[in-house]
Amino acid sequence: MIRLIRSELLKLRTTSSPWVLLIVTLLLTALGVITAFLIPNGNRVTFGAPTTIYRYRLLLGAGDTAVWMSAILGMLCVTGEYRHKVITTTLLVEPKRAYVLVAKSVASVLWGLILCASTFVMVAALGLPLLSAEGGSASILLHQAGAVVPGLFAAFAIIALFGVGFGTLVRNQVVGIVAVLGGSFILEPILDGLIPSVAKWLPSAAAGAVAGGLGTRADRAFLLSWWLGALVLAAWGIVPTVIGYFTTFTRDVT
Amino acid sequence: MSATSAPDAVIEVKGLTKHFGNVEAVRGLDFVVPRGRVTGFLGPNGAGKTTTLRMLLGLVAPNAGTATVLGRRYQDLDEPVRRVGAVLEATSFHPTRRARDHLRMLAVAAGIDERRVGEVLALVGLGDAAKRRVGGFSQGMRQRLELAGALLGQPDVLILDEPSNGLDPQGIAWLRQLLRYLASQGTTVLVSSHLLAEMAQTVDDVIIIAEGRLRAEGTIAELAGQGRSAMRARTPEPDRLVQVAQAAGFAPRRVAQDTVLVGGARPETLGPLLAQQRIVIYELTNEGTDLESIFLALTAPTPGSSPPVQATAPPFTPEEPR
Repeated sequence: MIRLIRSELLKLRTTSSPWVLLIVTLLLTALGVITAFLIPNGNRVTFGAPTTIYRYRLLLGAGDTAVWMSAILGMLCVTGEYRHKVITTTLLVEPKRAYVLVAKSVASVLWGLILCASTFVMVAALGLPLLSAEGGSASILLHQAGAVVPGLFAAFAIIALFGVGFGTLVRNQVVGIVAVLGGSFILEPILDGLIPSVAKWLPSAAAGAVAGGLGTRADRAFLLSWWLGALVLAAWGIVPTVIGYFTTFTRDVT
Repeated sequence: MSATSAPDAVIEVKGLTKHFGNVEAVRGLDFVVPRGRVTGFLGPNGAGKTTTLRMLLGLVAPNAGTATVLGRRYQDLDEPVRRVGAVLEATSFHPTRRARDHLRMLAVAAGIDERRVGEVLALVGLGDAAKRRVGGFSQGMRQRLELAGALLGQPDVLILDEPSNGLDPQGIAWLRQLLRYLASQGTTVLVSSHLLAEMAQTVDDVIIIAEGRLRAEGTIAELAGQGRSAMRARTPEPDRLVQVAQAAGFAPRRVAQDTVLVGGARPETLGPLLAQQRIVIYELTNEGTDLESIFLALTAPTPGSSPPVQATAPPFTPEEPR
């Protein structure tokens, strides 16, 4: 199994997609950092240091919106093989398909953790200098680590697993990317606004609940408690992978 | 034809059946492949060759029957890459991955020393292209890279699906030599093709299938033994030659505008006939055994299935037989 996981990591490393996703993650995080310094002030928005604990958490978890890059990575790990017909070769090396899917899941989760780590690097590189320039407190920021950091790592990891499961189900790379981006950046925000009671069960909101109540697009009071969010998020990760294994991943490869 | 009943069967297929929807791709197929020989797996396009090989390799699940390699189902083999190497059609590579990295990812997964990657690349003549991205490879280079992957684990058994597709004549000659060399080292080779003529010099044994069923199984010599001799005639009046030869009981077949292949004819029987009928001949060659017409006859569609074709003397076929 270790060999298979190493092979999957090598496969990811030797294509361009993970590196592109890493760059997009860094850019989205940079955007998130700057957004955290935009303080609503009556009808105006001013640039300044965070004024509340919640805004400090937003700054530390600035990579929150990039969590979907983790899903795309997990998805590409599966759909890329169907698209480029590498799946045949993969299954000749390891004909036990469950092992292949587990190896892909583990490799994607590891890459999800790498992407998450990169968001904190960006927060440190861009957020800390801005914070000191604007007279904010680095110490308050660091005190939010316990609430934000483990949850965000968990969210990136589990959303990567969701990507693997979703990729197994759709198998078509273009459909998969469009569905993930459309679902996360269009459908979920709309539901957030219209039917928060449904939206809170969706993966983004569950991820926000786990990572210290992040999520700027709606009143965060609607989020699930962190432990329920964790359960919901885990279900989003595991259920599609299991369904995908039993339905599409064990089909004939012709 | 006598079945090659070998106690040392490396590949065994029994009652193998697969249907895709209403289409029966493979129907109750039985054959064995003996150790250390090169066996040609022949049949026209759509005969069920690829489906059979994919069932043998655990990629397609049979509806009935069994297919085993080295006594086990492929998916039950320990370290399959070290036992069986395979080159399949409809397999490809990630276009931005370098040739060397493609093989490294296989080596890592199979626990094979990465030094072997350089060896197999050199063996298939891709040593200089190791660091190039596969997207820029020609069809022939991809075929060689596939083969390099199959040889990575120094397997005892090699299963190749139409490996000469995309290879130029030099490449085909090279492949033939490589397969003969591997067989001489004790490797068992099963290689599929829709062209018997191309395989005749490469293989020891043949398994011929059509419409998903076994049509013939045996050595090349046995196959030739049941066949007839044939003469090739180049003439300005091919139509008349066909008529005359047919009337004399031969099986003539036009193979080019001015060329007729006369099945069942020998120099001593055809020469006097042509002289007697005063047919102008530019060239007359003894073809020996007419393997191609045996192959065509063996793989002809059965009555009732379309399209109807004469079993013994197929009509003018300017292209490759399909």
